Amino acid sequence: MFNRKQSRRSAIGVAQIALLAVTAAAPFSAAHAAGTLAGTDITNTATATFSGPDGNPQSVDSNAVTLRVGELLDVSVASTDTGDVGVLPGAANRVLKFSVTNGGNGPEAFALTADGSAGGDDFNPTVTSIVLDTNGNGAYDAGVDTVYAAGSNDPVLQPDTSLTVFILSSIPAGATDTQRGQASLLAAAVTGTGAPGTSFAGQGEGGGDAVVGATGAESDDQGVYRVNAATVALAKTASVVGPFGGTGAVPGAVITYTLRATVSGTGTVNNVAVADPIPAGTTYRPGSLTLEGSTLSDAADGDAGRFTGSGIAVSLGSVAAGTSRTVTFQVEID
Amino acid sequence: MKKILLALFALLLPVAAQAAGSVSLVSEVFVERTETNADGRSVTTRAEPDMVVPGDNLVFVLNYRNDGAEPATDLVLTNPVPDSVSFSGTDDASAVVSVDGGETWGALAALTVAGADGASRPAQAADVTHIRWVLSQPVPQGGAGELSFRGVVK
Repeated sequence: MFNRKQSRRSAIGVAQIALLAVTAAAPFSAAHAAGTLAGTDITNTATATFSGPDGNPQSVDSNAVTLRVGELLDVSVASTDTGDVGVLPGAANRVLKFSVTNGGNGPEAFALTADGSAGGDDFNPTVTSIVLDTNGNGAYDAGVDTVYAAGSNDPVLQPDTSLTVFILSSIPAGATDTQRGQASLLAAAVTGTGAPGTSFAGQGEGGGDAVVGATGAESDDQGVYRVNAATVALAKTASVVGPFGGTGAVPGAVITYTLRATVSGTGTVNNVAVADPIPAGTTYRPGSLTLEGSTLSDAADGDAGRFTGSGIAVSLGSVAAGTSRTVTFQVEID
Repeated sequence: MKKILLALFALLLPVAAQAAGSVSLVSEVFVERTETNADGRSVTTRAEPDMVVPGDNLVFVLNYRNDGAEPATDLVLTNPVPDSVSFSGTDDASAVVSVDGGETWGALAALTVAGADGASRPAQAADVTHIRWVLSQPVPQGGAGELSFRGVVK
């Protein structure tokens, strides 16, 4: 193939040179969203037909102009979590999910970096690793998916294909409910990045140049961790009824204690238990233990509460945020 | 041996116009790039590249010239639109195009193609496979002209 335009002078007086039939040929062009594959040749040849002096039809081909399609470097990164990812304070290996798409027209390796220290959020997740979804199931599989190591396993993506990439982070122990922390994933073409149009001579797929596309050949996006921490608050109140109807704390008076456990925040608290010792100088009134207004037996049996001999103990189980449980019991002043 | 090699080389020399008769034809392809200069004005440059990337705007220019001693009559110039290039038009109203690989010719607005559902729809620029100029007047000795069309790298 001749890929240079010829000077017009060479057109003159070359009738005896054999006609070199060159047809427009682009052997592996594909209808691709990312465009013609890098390394494809675009060849243009025109033909003229005319009647010569003798009246016979004649045909002449032009020179062939060949242009090689260079490699366009484009990438896009997008967070693919459906929303904030709920975490607990101090949690490790919390997963954010991203997709990295090669928007260029040639196979390209991409270097990945993750950053949890950007501003604009409430806490900084500590990024502990970047993991490639090597089994392609879109979910993080510990020990199965490959941990990314910059420079040694930069993922190579074919044009128009995507890879799922996970960021694993630890959440600070001090983070509190509803706080949000961002972590971002950056993918950059290994061939090079820069302003759109920046060219890397000879470094494109197929030996042509590589040219930075509209994305600058790098892209990033953020995922968000959100702390879903529920907290339990316990409030204790007492009311006294004297033996003669007064409210004085005199011997024989009955004290009713009300313990109200309230869960606030987000989520559910599991295995909530309330225990309260019987105050010195008082005696537990048998059969006085209630939960949500229902009496609980004093024995350690099928219900949620019991009298231990020195105090009461009630298991509340799982309590959702925004709800509360009320326990009452009575003692008599000795 | 050296002479033979030279002779072969001469044969292989890229030849702009194989003047089988008396008309020469030279094809040139330019890429147009629009950039914003320091004054904030957009400037369109036309360059002759070896390399293009998808989305580049190409200008195909055909130069013909009658190098013979007699007028050339019935001159027809045909340029298949290369694969990987999407035809985007020509300023030359005398051109006709084909959307079926050169079987039928006409103004783009008069042509139809079969859509994905089998029904025919009006042809669009991207459907064009060939462009052709039919010169109504003989080209006199020494007469020359320039024709052009545009395309975008797919």
